[in-house]
Amino acid sequence: MDWDQFDLNPKTIAALKKADIKSVKEILNLSGADLQRLMKLSSADIQCLLKTVSHTLRRNSMLTALQLYQDKDHFTSQHQKLSLGCSVLDSLLKGGIPLVGITELAGESSAGKTQIGLQLCLCVQYPYKYGGLESGAVYICTEDVFPSKRLQQLIDQQHKLRAGVPAEIIRKIRFGNNIFVEQAADLDTFQQCITRRLSLLLARGMVRLVVIDSMAALFRCEFGPAESALKARYLQTFGAQLHSLSTQFRTPIMCINQVTDAVSESEAAQCSCRVVGSRVTPALGITWSNQLLMRLMVSRVSVPGHPPGAAPHCAGSMRTLSVVFAPHLPPSFCYYTVQLEGVKGIK
Amino acid sequence: MQREVGTLPLAPALRARLAAAGFQTAQELLDTGPCGLSKEIGISKEEALEALQVVRQECHGDAARTAGGSGATRKCTALELLEEEQTQGFIITFCSALDNILGGGVQLTKITEICGAPGVGKTQLCMQLAVDVQIPECFGGVAGEAVFIDTEGSFMVDRVVDIAAACVQHCHLIAEAQQEEEHGKALETFSLENILSHIYYFRCHDYTELLAQVYLLPEFLSQHSKVRLVVIDGIAFPFRHDFEDLSLRTRLLNGLAQQLIIIANDHKSAVVLTNQMTTRIGQSQSTLVPALGESWGHAATVRLIFHWDNGQRLATLYKSPSQKESTIAYHITSHGFRDVQPPAVTHSREGTELNPRKRPRTEEEKQ
Repeated sequence: MDWDQFDLNPKTIAALKKADIKSVKEILNLSGADLQRLMKLSSADIQCLLKTVSHTLRRNSMLTALQLYQDKDHFTSQHQKLSLGCSVLDSLLKGGIPLVGITELAGESSAGKTQIGLQLCLCVQYPYKYGGLESGAVYICTEDVFPSKRLQQLIDQQHKLRAGVPAEIIRKIRFGNNIFVEQAADLDTFQQCITRRLSLLLARGMVRLVVIDSMAALFRCEFGPAESALKARYLQTFGAQLHSLSTQFRTPIMCINQVTDAVSESEAAQCSCRVVGSRVTPALGITWSNQLLMRLMVSRVSVPGHPPGAAPHCAGSMRTLSVVFAPHLPPSFCYYTVQLEGVKGIK
Repeated sequence: MQREVGTLPLAPALRARLAAAGFQTAQELLDTGPCGLSKEIGISKEEALEALQVVRQECHGDAARTAGGSGATRKCTALELLEEEQTQGFIITFCSALDNILGGGVQLTKITEICGAPGVGKTQLCMQLAVDVQIPECFGGVAGEAVFIDTEGSFMVDRVVDIAAACVQHCHLIAEAQQEEEHGKALETFSLENILSHIYYFRCHDYTELLAQVYLLPEFLSQHSKVRLVVIDGIAFPFRHDFEDLSLRTRLLNGLAQQLIIIANDHKSAVVLTNQMTTRIGQSQSTLVPALGESWGHAATVRLIFHWDNGQRLATLYKSPSQKESTIAYHITSHGFRDVQPPAVTHSREGTELNPRKRPRTEEEKQ
């Protein structure tokens, strides 16, 4: 660290070099008294040093809520969201997935989580005007093989799903080219994937969506109840790394998660799940829930009849997508079906 | 002039040398002069000169302070403190049940901590408070501004807009019902844009940035003297990963708590922190407890724990110096943080309900 570029007293700079302090983080980690002893300076000098390095670190960092509200720039605005490709689902989420933060999609098997994940990988490639981010996606598989046949089906049917988008625009996008598939079956590979490959792709601007399918699979086999502290540490580290990538590159991270049975009433209550009569909670516990910005749950509805007002020609069973918690959305849900062209909500 | 050498703001090594050489008061140092000093304790003449300049400044400052009356240590009686506390404003939360168990609302000059599982409403309450702190005094508010330090990225400005719009609407309804002149005047400046422009938002990405931001807060609060609320949402997130050395974490958190207490006191603001919950595995069952450890529990003056019971959100006052432990239910609506049932409000008493500072007339007449 080049201390000469800081606006400090030469005596302080000399003391910093002599005490072999190499970074701002080291200075802030030491208490005032420790700094005085280490650098042999008076408390007034130390206060001045702390203020100066804090200023340098936090230059120009203040915004008012009004500036946030009025910011309409594509890259920085909070109003910009990633659309799901269906107007009903988008209106449930008030626009779509937020660009910064980890969104979780939890549900039983074959409820449609992978379908929604694939659909998002295609939606992100559309122009900003149609709810996309004009960029590619990374799909990290941790257990199953990537469903490439289904992806091809979806690509072929995009014009049917996105009827509002002009056909030439859809024709121009090379969907398959912009989806990067990674396989990571264990924790170390996953760690490598996040820290090296993901940051590289994000830094080059080639992707602006990360789908992880699924988080729970990484932890299911390897951790018994005695190793819960180690599991918690892994979860917190992954959460923090994903969070910082998401913030740095303004990229939504969609984590698909499995569910486990809620053994007691209190457990179900803890995760604030009041989904349509089910007693399941998302896997990985409260440690993982603390890392999330938003949690969505999907489930199959085994009702033989149709919800009121639904179109009578829906093939396949009804499913529900519900918002469990989000800072900007009330707990709510909507119905959807999985069709050949993709996931479509039902009013 | 009789100030002891050990209390002067000099480098510790210099103080040690002065003590070893037998100097006890500041006056002795000034009498010796720079040349004598440098010879006696073996430092260069420039260093001796600098040290004496510092000593002279300190003594000058001391004299000015004792002449002015208020010094670094202030003496006052408990009665004065009581009167000060009773005139202290509260930041209302719009949930009257919660305001009641807190004794009027979120108290200024104190640190309030809100703990809860994800999704229970901690950020919602913080956003509500950032709007409510700006309510004009004639409606029972403290007419202040808010600083919002966000470490998780959960501050969604659209939600704040909804909450602020509902608050403005509420005040308009009161003004119409009561038809007082000061209400109308206050409402001219209490608009959505005004509210948003007085919430100062800082985004911190890791604990180093958070520590730096808190070092800069006193200066910011001196420049923006109307700030009456500092929110840190959440305090646990940056401190719960990346720490091999837990004793370092405890030390940093303690330092942070001390700085926040000083900020709350000096600038007469409320400090609100949100904390996560973690599982504590007991003998036969596991319970949820606030994160960051036992020693962090001492940092906050008031601790609220939000939790679920069968689909109903509950708030428990877990720690407070003046109120008893109790639990109430609350709701989060599209307008923000609210009671479960709207409290029964009659027109004549609406003014006093929103203004806990105004004591009823009868008491004053008795005095």
